[in-house]
Amino acid sequence: MKQRKRTVMYTVIGLFVALVHIIPFYILLTVSFKDMRDMSSKWAFPGYWFMGNFMSAWQNAHLGRAFLNTGVITVMSVVLILIFGSLAAFPLARYQSKLNKWVYGIFVSALIVPPLTILVPLYKLFVDIGFMNTYYGIVLLHVTFQLSMAIFLYTSFIGTIPRELDEAAMIDGATKTGMFFRIIMPLLKPVTATIVIMNANSIWNDYQFSLFFLQKADSRTITVALSSFFGENSAQIGWIAAGSLMAAIPSILVYILLQKYFVDGIAAGAVKG
Amino acid sequence: MKKRAFWFMTLAMLLVIFSGCSSRPDGGSISASGGDNAETGSGKIGSGKAKTTLSMMVNISDESLTKAYREIVDGFTKENPDISVNLQFDSNGYENTMKVKMAANDLPDIFDTHGWAKIRYGEYLADLRDEPWASQLTDTIRNVVTDENGKVYALVLTEAKDGMLYNVDMLEKYGIEVPRTFDELVAAGEKIKKESGGKTIPFYLSGIDDSTIGQYLDQFANPLLITAKNNEADALLKGTFDWSHITPLAQSLLTLKEKGLINEDVLTAKRSDLPAAFAAEKVTFALVGPAFMDSVHEIAPNMKIGIMPLPAMVAGDEPTFAGGERNTLAVWKDSKHLDEAKKLLQYFAKPENMAKLSNVSKNPPGLKDIKTDHELTPYYDKYASIRVFPYFDRVYLPNGMWDVLCKNGTELLAGRMTPEQFSESMKTEVERLSKK
Amino acid sequence: MKPNVVVTKAGQRRTTQMRRLAKSPVMLNWMYLPALLLFAVFIYYPFFRGLLISFTDWDGYSQIFHYIGIDNYKRMLSDSRVHTVIINTLIYGLGSTLFQNIIGLLYALLLNKHGKGRTFVRVIVYIPAIVSPIIMGYIWYFLLQYNGGAINDIITAFTGHPVNLLADPKVNVWIIMVVNTYQFLGVAMMIFLSGLQSISKDYYEAAEIDGASPMNRFFNITFPLLAPALTTSIILNLIGGLKLFDVIAALTNGGPGYASASLSTMMYQLYFARQDAGLAASLGNLMFLLITVISLTSLYFLRRKELSQ
Repeated sequence: MKQRKRTVMYTVIGLFVALVHIIPFYILLTVSFKDMRDMSSKWAFPGYWFMGNFMSAWQNAHLGRAFLNTGVITVMSVVLILIFGSLAAFPLARYQSKLNKWVYGIFVSALIVPPLTILVPLYKLFVDIGFMNTYYGIVLLHVTFQLSMAIFLYTSFIGTIPRELDEAAMIDGATKTGMFFRIIMPLLKPVTATIVIMNANSIWNDYQFSLFFLQKADSRTITVALSSFFGENSAQIGWIAAGSLMAAIPSILVYILLQKYFVDGIAAGAVKG
Repeated sequence: MKKRAFWFMTLAMLLVIFSGCSSRPDGGSISASGGDNAETGSGKIGSGKAKTTLSMMVNISDESLTKAYREIVDGFTKENPDISVNLQFDSNGYENTMKVKMAANDLPDIFDTHGWAKIRYGEYLADLRDEPWASQLTDTIRNVVTDENGKVYALVLTEAKDGMLYNVDMLEKYGIEVPRTFDELVAAGEKIKKESGGKTIPFYLSGIDDSTIGQYLDQFANPLLITAKNNEADALLKGTFDWSHITPLAQSLLTLKEKGLINEDVLTAKRSDLPAAFAAEKVTFALVGPAFMDSVHEIAPNMKIGIMPLPAMVAGDEPTFAGGERNTLAVWKDSKHLDEAKKLLQYFAKPENMAKLSNVSKNPPGLKDIKTDHELTPYYDKYASIRVFPYFDRVYLPNGMWDVLCKNGTELLAGRMTPEQFSESMKTEVERLSKK
Repeated sequence: MKPNVVVTKAGQRRTTQMRRLAKSPVMLNWMYLPALLLFAVFIYYPFFRGLLISFTDWDGYSQIFHYIGIDNYKRMLSDSRVHTVIINTLIYGLGSTLFQNIIGLLYALLLNKHGKGRTFVRVIVYIPAIVSPIIMGYIWYFLLQYNGGAINDIITAFTGHPVNLLADPKVNVWIIMVVNTYQFLGVAMMIFLSGLQSISKDYYEAAEIDGASPMNRFFNITFPLLAPALTTSIILNLIGGLKLFDVIAALTNGGPGYASASLSTMMYQLYFARQDAGLAASLGNLMFLLITVISLTSLYFLRRKELSQ
């Protein structure tokens, strides 16, 4: 009886929380379905299904192309982040020499570097080495800037894997490197899910890097494409709302798909660390 | 169960969205104009020649105008199949992008200088004095884009001749003559506010997009300090200007606010909400470029919008316009395709193309003898004899002062700065920036 | 024969050395070299170049500039606007960290085991973290706007006139803090949820046998065991909050004047609008220093706490 009462109470409070949190999205939804001339309150859901904003946003911002570009960039970056990140984390977690503590510090403190202070020197560098307007250029940038988080999480996670496992493998004659690939890698699944969600999401949403380093009409990413709706003379708020909604859907899907692992991943990677 | 229901919902949503888009591939008038940044002029395949690609960046976002640019570029690439143009439009990120590009010395072959051909972009621009159109620049604009050595910095497609846009029918309705002095303007505003029962607040400024406030100060600085017979132009240029003389400018803005003639939410309003407010007859005067009119007409297609010169601020002075570059094209001096770039500029300078851009943007053309016909033409004709003075900040203030104007104006309206402090701050900032 | 033996012995020694080296942890360090290279090239090289800008009078775009020593730093420290902005930044950073963690923990407790549809609620709470911050800023602008803003529609219904929520710098700084909290609350919640799920049931069973009250159980078992989760959450939130940019840009653009600006937005405006790149770079370095000091200090205290458990 007591158990059931608690369940009901938790459910009610939970739904109330959901209700409060969904308000901004409800507003986003009403705005995205409203005709520009409709001046009714933002609370009122339009009595019609106006898909015009979605279509206009899709076509005017070339969102199809932008989704493809962003998708390619995100996937490539995330794959590289996982490789470089897990590789880098292993020695940092297993061999905590003074040097490696410094190296770890260098990796993590990159989280703190304000992007704007490095913007211009970075841009110059990109021009000099011919990385401007290339997919690999922007991918390497994303990889570098997201690696901190990945290394941070991987290092803590590997720290929780018992060393006995390593030793068992070493007795079998594996080198440390070999052992990493055979024993550790397969164990990293949950934390990998966490890293995928967090990093893919930041890359998907990136605006600054894409704006400055990918200045070609047909390589625009979603956020840059949507930003063209913020004109000086009018912000097409219906289009922006509709476009934002569409842009968020893939991230939301990825999150829902991976959310079970996500929790496990943080549990082991960030919480026990 | 719940999970599955959620999945269905998401899937259904996706389906709706995607089918909604794909079922009408070219439906709607908006989509007809195509995308924002399409690469135009792919040229003929297999023409055998190595193709040159020109990069071109323009800081406009208005749909009709981007369309006009694209059509002209298409016409050019059709005539010159061995040249293709990577044409990009950007309005809100343009200035920042260009600054980073300048810093890295990596500019597009052709780009818009939007008022800063000489002062900001000058050191990066090719000299265009030998171009066939150079001699055709109008009298009002020639000096703006030419330096003392005769270097021509940009092709001016359209020039600014800015005063105030206003709701023509509204002035008629309240029986108000177009104000010729600032006092008349305030009186007109008060009358409109009173007789509309407070529905209409004549002026709309935005503290978030504080360039609207900077714009006010910049436009009215001329009538206060420059256009009258006893003016301060020399003192300003020589650096002997007594900055307390600019206090009345700050005071005028404050007066408008104190009389309730500026939108109540001035500190938090956004510039992008102005067209809707103007269309809903909540605003009478707008200190913006004519491109604004299209956004209003999208909501209120039949609204009559006119342009008037800036009222005089000093007794005995006449109204004036503020002038300068509006849409321009300049060529990067280190461009690898200088000749092709100049060729494209020549194409833009053709009378029919100049007229088209002028008609679409409703700004006067930057070259002589171009016949135009658009909504504002009667007004420009009517005020043809009104004097045009270049924008105040570009002539009399050091580069970098624009933001000071905007920020100080906002502080003034927020009540965190007095007009006297405004002048004091102008003085110190000008001194800091002039040192360089 | 003798020399031969020596060679063999030496060879043997070398192979054992090699083997030991191969097994030695130092050999593992190659694994972080690719990452280190990327960091050196794309972050630290530009970062140190950027440091130099703070000693110049550069306008941010010209090829011409001069070295002017520490003038920019002097100017920065004597500028009263910078003081306001530092305080704002601290409000954004510390304030949202505090609220994110308190509310995030409450949500995690609420949505951990009991209640139907908790997965759904978790998704709803987390979704804002997925949306790009600049778009989140705009969504909130729809809510907070003076004319036709959703919240003002309600206020108008009760009082008859709207309130200019974002105009007063005493209020808008806190509104921005709340919006940031709202957006990244989900991350803190997820971290705490994971923390909760990694706590072994045995502890609770033992506590129940001892007859501990729920309050007792929370403070003696749950909270101490959540300490590592708390550390992670606090550090991530701190860094995010202290670097806050997009939401401010969308809601107030740092205004009126610089009243609600953070170090990030002020730096942006100094750099691009005011063409004062030198001062902007000094501000950037100040921000780097500030965040480093704050996060290292909190890390130090949090870790010490963890260890003492």
